Amino acid sequence: MTDHTAATPDKPAGCTPAAAFARYVEPEVPVLYRVALTMAGQPVDAEDLVQDTLIRAYRAIDGFDGAHPRAWLLTILRNTHRNRARTRVPSLLHTGEQESQLLDRSGASRSAEDVVVDAQFEAVVAEALAALPTMHRVVVQLVDIDGLTYAEAAQALGVPRGTVMSRLHRARARIRTRLVAAGLVPRRSRP
Amino acid sequence: MTLMPLSKMTRTARCLRTSRVLQRYLDGELDDVPTAARVAEHLEECRRCGLHAATYRAIKQALRSGNRDIDDLALRRLRAFSQALTEPDGPQPAG
Repeated sequence: MTDHTAATPDKPAGCTPAAAFARYVEPEVPVLYRVALTMAGQPVDAEDLVQDTLIRAYRAIDGFDGAHPRAWLLTILRNTHRNRARTRVPSLLHTGEQESQLLDRSGASRSAEDVVVDAQFEAVVAEALAALPTMHRVVVQLVDIDGLTYAEAAQALGVPRGTVMSRLHRARARIRTRLVAAGLVPRRSRP
Repeated sequence: MTLMPLSKMTRTARCLRTSRVLQRYLDGELDDVPTAARVAEHLEECRRCGLHAATYRAIKQALRSGNRDIDDLALRRLRAFSQALTEPDGPQPAG
């Protein structure tokens, strides 16, 4: 059995599995759930995915050195999702419910005109997001909606950071093109 | 053959340089402080690039405002599940 009392640069000596779990894993539960929603699509699947991830993390906590807990957990989440996806139809589809939430904004302290323009802008962004190829859309969701860094999104997807950057760039350019076509942002030549 | 004026070339070069790092800059992923400062300066001085950046900021804002509400109950259940894992009589992970 692993000696969990051994210290590492990021893990203090005498850190029991329960203490390490409470210290490194429990604070990341909201992020895990948010990312799981993006990856699994449905809330009920996301909850199951996080539970499975937590169980795997608890089993492996002895061997975790305490460095970069979020990256470590996102890798576990990705592997868990992949294993689960093998036995079911992948569900990365953007749901109608998510789209309606995307349009739901409070209009406090803005004029009616502003609210209408904002709603049009957001509607086009929502449509453009839904129309993106899945791999591009997921990157936008992880970075712009779930708030992950490039490195964390790369960890969650199991791709290089450069791939996250290029997919993000292309996805946003496509969203912008739709906004230009809708007349909501000025057309201008690229530098 | 007419040569592009130096001032124009310089502006174009600065636009290109900004364009290459704009997404990273807007995402706060540009660790290089002098480069970030140069980008900020260029976005102030160049209307076209400033407009380009403003569009991407608005896209990010629109996406963020559509940030789905996290189900508090689901999160509470997951926190409880997580804490129960570390309790002696909690759900034991099967090997």
